[in-house]
Amino acid sequence: MSERRENKTILQLERVSRFYRTRGNVFRGGGRLVVALNEINLSLRAGEIFGLVGESGSGKTTCGRLIVRLEEADQGRITLNGEDITHLKGKKLREYRRQVQMVFQDPYQSLNPQVTIADSVAEPLITNKVGSPLDHMERVLKVLKTAGLSPAEDYVYRFPHQLSGGQRQRVAIARAIVLEPSLLVADEPTSMLDASYSAQIFEILQGVRDKMGATIMFITHSMASARYLCDRIGVIYRGHLVEQGPAEQVINAPQHPYTKALIDATPKFGRAAEVPTYGTLLAAERPANSSAGCPFFRRCALAERLLCAGTYPPWRQVGPEQVALCHLLEDAAPAVSTG
Amino acid sequence: MALLTVENLGIGYQTAKGLLKAVDGVNFTLEPGHSLGLVGESGCGKTTIGMALMGLLPPNGRITEGRIVLDGLEISAMSEDELRKVRWNKVSMIFQAAMNALNPVKRISAQMVEAIQVHRPEVSDEAALTRVEGLFNLVGLPLERLYDFPHQYSGGMKQRAIIAMALALNPKLVIADEPTTALDVIVQDQILKETKELQRQFNIGIIFISHDISIVADVCHQIGVMYAGQLVESGPAEEVFFNSKHPYTQALVSSFPTLAGPKTKLAPIPGEPPNLTGTIPGCRFCDRCPKDTASCKLDHPQWQEVGPGHHVLCDHC
Ligand SMILES: Nc1ncnc2c1ncn2[C@@H]1O[C@H](COP(=O)(O)OP(=O)(O)OP(=O)(O)O)[C@@H](O)[C@H]1O
Ligand SMILES: Nc1ncnc2c1ncn2[C@@H]1O[C@H](COP(=O)(O)OP(=O)(O)OP(=O)(O)O)[C@@H](O)[C@H]1O
Ligand code: SF4
Ligand SMILES: [Mg+2]
Ligand SMILES: [Mg+2]
Repeated sequence: MSERRENKTILQLERVSRFYRTRGNVFRGGGRLVVALNEINLSLRAGEIFGLVGESGSGKTTCGRLIVRLEEADQGRITLNGEDITHLKGKKLREYRRQVQMVFQDPYQSLNPQVTIADSVAEPLITNKVGSPLDHMERVLKVLKTAGLSPAEDYVYRFPHQLSGGQRQRVAIARAIVLEPSLLVADEPTSMLDASYSAQIFEILQGVRDKMGATIMFITHSMASARYLCDRIGVIYRGHLVEQGPAEQVINAPQHPYTKALIDATPKFGRAAEVPTYGTLLAAERPANSSAGCPFFRRCALAERLLCAGTYPPWRQVGPEQVALCHLLEDAAPAVSTG
Repeated sequence: MALLTVENLGIGYQTAKGLLKAVDGVNFTLEPGHSLGLVGESGCGKTTIGMALMGLLPPNGRITEGRIVLDGLEISAMSEDELRKVRWNKVSMIFQAAMNALNPVKRISAQMVEAIQVHRPEVSDEAALTRVEGLFNLVGLPLERLYDFPHQYSGGMKQRAIIAMALALNPKLVIADEPTTALDVIVQDQILKETKELQRQFNIGIIFISHDISIVADVCHQIGVMYAGQLVESGPAEEVFFNSKHPYTQALVSSFPTLAGPKTKLAPIPGEPPNLTGTIPGCRFCDRCPKDTASCKLDHPQWQEVGPGHHVLCDHC
């Protein structure tokens, strides 16, 4: 894999933040500010599959939506091939959206139930005025095949309700790749599917990377899935990136207490005796009176009170290309780069 | 006496292309306080079985064959009025994706009180609220969050509220359909531990539907593996997953990603399941089976006992 992969950065997020203001309500007073993403630094390399892993509500989907520009960052900068796309508008934004596509979390909601599979998949071609209507069918058949639906002719005139969950998700992928994007964000594309279908989707995504040369961001809460599919992994906790590195390294030698907790809590199929010990995770959150400290402080079992409670930890280089954000790692050198 | 007996169950959906046989010839029993894990390919009929046990099949769905007997009552022969007395009282269900179905404009406490009073109109508001408080303690929700709205809860808290509602009327059987799919591993682990504890404490029977075989292996005593509407392998969890005999179960297990051990290549099962609106003369898995022989295509496979309590629907195992 590595000889094919250049180390060229395709997408870069620099200190990207996104806030949501929730509406106030009569009983609890004014709205709250939710920090969905906090100063995220990330870079994706051309042709890699990057896994973004974290708990529910940690900001994974938000990150994906900012990248494909369904939403706009409140702070920071996002660049694709060096070009700033953070606040693109109008024609430029439409052109950008041709290059980056997203597969959404829920295959039951992502396809229009009234539209045939052929029309669903061809729609991005039509909206973007790509090719003539005559080549559309040919392109549709080709991507349906790439997405593992064959014979493709059997599917084109069906409606979504005539497909199983796994087939729908493959149609959603076909639709996302029909414009041959250089970047694909796949948001938990397999969380509703059984293992065999998931494995098939993994193969399809790998095929999209290998055959089309696309770069993929794979969003998941399953470390085990990330292990099989991803070259590198980033771990996100409540909007803060806390660890990043090559997939095998992050899984075999996690350094951040939260990454350790995620791996600890993953069910060990076939090793029933290995129950989670939660050596790094508190059962109940501890109170914190400052928001300046480590983002994980309230749940960290290893926290060294003063430092962790009051000071944001620095990034440390904990392995070749592996970085983590924790005060306990003070023996490691400061990180060379977090992106 | 078994808590639940399912005999030769067949369920069909009326579709434009004819009757779709979503469930065919399914047999199993469940003892009180035990748990059965149902696993199998997306679309193989797991939710359909759950809905039939609740008497909640959609209008185009019906039981075409067989019997469902719960606690001595024949559910499959009941009228809607009779079913209403059993549903939620004796058998309840945690629906697939239920936590997104909480009413967004109603406080959690009010939703739970209502759920109780719909089925037990005689219960006073105070008594119902006391019960809700008890349920909050049971599933580990803090009492000060009683009056919150659903959007103020995290995913894990919503799922706990759903579990609490399913337990509200002390059912003997709970059907949990993908109860932790949307949750991360840490919350999932907490909820599964609590579920096991509740089950032990109240001797509840559980049918646990999930496509995550690592969870099912952990939570359930017995496993049923389904393929294209039929059970194809059943037995103790250890046996079914770690001494699998049916080629489909073997394929399912080898396509499951894990963190432990060497990273082997995941092997998805090639091909597609058969069309359930037609008649299938032989084994339903034969088109995708590595062992496929001429006789597989022609004759219905027979159940074989391959170990104590471990059964397989295949003639070549
Ligand atoms: N439109 C919105 N308005 C207010 N808050 C929002 C909005 N969208 C997301 N959030 C909040 O931002 C945070 C991050 O949400 P996001 O959907 O990105 O999480 P996620 O990691 O994708 O979670 P999941 O695994 O459950 O999909 C959460 O606290 C969420 O409640
Ligand atoms: N209302 C309906 N009308 C027609 N066919 C239906 C209906 N509901 C389900 N089906 C079909 O019946 C079969 C079984 O569906 P069911 O929902 O029970 O599967 P499942 O095992 O729960 O799948 P999943 O793991 O994807 O939830 C599928 O082929 C499905 O397409
Ligand atoms: S900096 Fe402190 S609180 Fe944060 S993860 Fe490290 S030890 Fe825990
Ligand atoms: Mg999400
Ligand atoms: Mg289902």
